[in-house]
Amino acid sequence: MKRKALLISPELCIGCRACQVACKSWNQLDGTRTNNRGTFENPPDLTPALYNKIRFVEVPSEKDDMRWLFVSQRCMHCDDAGCMKICPSPGALYRTKEGAVVFDKDKCIGCKLCVAACPFDVPRYDKNDKISKCTLCADRIAENLEPLCAKTCPTGAIKFGDRDELIAEAQKAGYQKVYGQNDLGGLGALYAFKEPPKFYGMDDKPQIPDSVIFWHKVLKPLAVIGLGGAVAASLLHYAVVGPKKDKEENNDE
Amino acid sequence: MSKMIRKASTFEIVNHWILAVSCIFLVVSGFAFLFHLEQLNTVFGSFITLKNLHNWVGVVFVVSLLATVSHYLPVALNLSSEDLVWLSKGGGYIVKNVKLPEQDIINSGQKLYYLAILGAGVLISISGFIIWIAPGSRTLVLISHLLHNLSFIVFVMAIPIHAYLASIANPGTFRIMVQGTVPLEWARKRHGKWVKRLGY
Repeated sequence: MKRKALLISPELCIGCRACQVACKSWNQLDGTRTNNRGTFENPPDLTPALYNKIRFVEVPSEKDDMRWLFVSQRCMHCDDAGCMKICPSPGALYRTKEGAVVFDKDKCIGCKLCVAACPFDVPRYDKNDKISKCTLCADRIAENLEPLCAKTCPTGAIKFGDRDELIAEAQKAGYQKVYGQNDLGGLGALYAFKEPPKFYGMDDKPQIPDSVIFWHKVLKPLAVIGLGGAVAASLLHYAVVGPKKDKEENNDE
Repeated sequence: MSKMIRKASTFEIVNHWILAVSCIFLVVSGFAFLFHLEQLNTVFGSFITLKNLHNWVGVVFVVSLLATVSHYLPVALNLSSEDLVWLSKGGGYIVKNVKLPEQDIINSGQKLYYLAILGAGVLISISGFIIWIAPGSRTLVLISHLLHNLSFIVFVMAIPIHAYLASIANPGTFRIMVQGTVPLEWARKRHGKWVKRLGY
């Protein structure tokens, strides 16, 4: 199965947020009451009931007073996913054959370690203390349907398809560097950025926290080696040196 | 039959086994979280149950660990150059029948073991509690996660060695954590300083 992905092109986005609404509709997510903060960006951040949010960024412009950039903020479906790496519960986070990172609420133990390990600050916890985030509409993909955000987008700012084809397409359109092409083993959400990533509120080089890498590569093996080594050393000592007996006991034998 | 003297009180013995059983459960469930040992589901049902047990048995462990402090900490902290001599000679475990400095109610190795377990135990409990309550701070959770796993390694290495040295490596030792008494002559050889203090 070829890895699927989304190609997000802020240059094509008109900020209509139809994808936000469609996402809520398909995933049966409740609405949230929010306050006017003087921006069209709403709600202000991802919530357990908001898997996909359009971020409104105002940047200085030479021609006009300012320029608006619209970016879809959501789970990136990393190939090397920090959330999956740190998750202590088997099956709570898993990968579909199309490459989506999906959750199983029944197996989520509510530890929230995935929140700390995610390089993009994506996972949220619902009122039952279970993970909730974008699933790339894995249930739709399984039925050969595209994710509803991509299907709804009126301008093609969110496109769904084979990951390799989307990258080729973006490069053909003049985007030399596609954001997410190689980061974290390759992201499942690719971005055709015209400006440097930080203009869009993204890290230049997104990374899993160093402590999580160290834990995964060093501490986890060390726990096994440490336990095995201590047991082996004890047995070896027993065989080579033997138990500490009092002299009298030896004489008795 | 030789004269027996009491080395451990009933409270100490009971508390030791509460500490031991809770600690072993925590280590086993810890490995299950590290390596997704789904086989444990046949015993505990689900990882949700396992997580809840891990947290609450952790509380039992902390209480039990703190209950040891008044008993062992003063003597464990009473370190001197004699302890260095004992340790440099490997406590007589490597070359047998070496001359060792007289030992208190616990020997130099046991002092270090206790300090390691107490230190790692306090660290693993505090960091575990922080992970449990899951504060908003990412940095705090990541630091706790790291410390929890670092102190875990101290436990998985120290426990087998402790279990070995306190059982088959030292005939006559295991009964301290069962009956609580030892023969006077046995104690004189291993804990001379303590036996002298008792006035024997």
